[in-house]
Amino acid sequence: RHPLATFFHLFFRVSAIVTYLFCDWFSNSFVACFVTILLLLSFDFWSVKNVTGRLLVGLHWRNQIDEDGKSHWMFEAKRVPTIAASTEAEARIFWLGLIICPVIWTMFFFSTLFSLKLKWLALVIAGISLQTANLYGYIHCKLGGQKTISRVTSRLCGTADVPKRQSRRISEDGTEEHGKTGTR
Amino acid sequence: FPGLADVSIPQDIPVEGEITVPVGSHSPDEDYSTLDEPVKDTIMRDLKAVGKKFVHVMYPRKSSALLRDWDLWGPLVLCVSLALMLQGGSADSKDDGGPQFAEVFVIIWFGAVVITLNSKLLGGTISFFQSLCVLGYCVLPLTVAMLVCRLVLLAGMGTISFIIRLIVVGAMFAWSTLASTAFLADSQPPNRKALVVYPIFLFYFVISWMILTFTPQ
Repeated sequence: RHPLATFFHLFFRVSAIVTYLFCDWFSNSFVACFVTILLLLSFDFWSVKNVTGRLLVGLHWRNQIDEDGKSHWMFEAKRVPTIAASTEAEARIFWLGLIICPVIWTMFFFSTLFSLKLKWLALVIAGISLQTANLYGYIHCKLGGQKTISRVTSRLCGTADVPKRQSRRISEDGTEEHGKTGTR
Repeated sequence: FPGLADVSIPQDIPVEGEITVPVGSHSPDEDYSTLDEPVKDTIMRDLKAVGKKFVHVMYPRKSSALLRDWDLWGPLVLCVSLALMLQGGSADSKDDGGPQFAEVFVIIWFGAVVITLNSKLLGGTISFFQSLCVLGYCVLPLTVAMLVCRLVLLAGMGTISFIIRLIVVGAMFAWSTLASTAFLADSQPPNRKALVVYPIFLFYFVISWMILTFTPQ
């Protein structure tokens, strides 16, 4: 249903990793590689946070500051009524992409540390923090969403029952009144 | 009415009460939920927010609305452009300006984080990311100074050019410090203001020093 969103979800992350691995082939300049990877990571962070999460799995997290200056972290989850096959596949791609990439960047962190290529360390740390932030935010949404779903089902059960009881009440009142009038 | 004694409905009514209880503190159905915005709206909204903040830095007045909507795009762009301008600019090679570029980056971000921690430890009411946002955006005058310095250095490297650069960098440094102080100092109790302002002063001083002592190879 959202092929473009799925594509972009993976595109920025995978490009950042590929560029990091093969930067020697693309350009001799450290600065160009650094800036390119940083921009790819930033675009990836923004698009996963604001676009692909909403479209692919119906989750969104953000920070809001109210008038008192206090910051609130909001985790929103869409109440999903339908689970189509295409949505399942998209959701699976979303979560796989979300989980695997921070793991890869963590591996890069250790390889950079131990091979002493320390000038890349800042970039790898930036990559880990951005991708882990998204991962954490979405897991928080998802877990919060579990509570939403259980509340939604109890609400649905509630609303389904109330009309019955109401009608029962009416009928009871009716019969009672009938009874009353009857006895009267 | 004897019939009413048999009615057990009131116990079920709380289910209706739950309908109005939202998830957390916000129901996703409220007007400003962002779950169903079209993508273009999101992009335009963010771009406009960034633009507005740049304008606010150029004309600093205390405005709490600015602080509410923090983002780190502006600081990223400014940091990258400043770091690009501050490196040697020599021909592409494996060892060109690599460490200098990363140095500038680390100084700016690490410095901003330390200042934020300092103000939080002193009991500031501003949040972590808001403070980073303000400090990052207030690097704008210094970036402009860097641009001017590079242009002046193209013309020559004598005493006059040094004096011009000194004046420009000094003015922009004062502007940066005043702009960020206007936003940040008010979140502190009055007797702590100096304690918060002096690290900001140091931070912009270090950046100004890097700009002033820059000489192209």
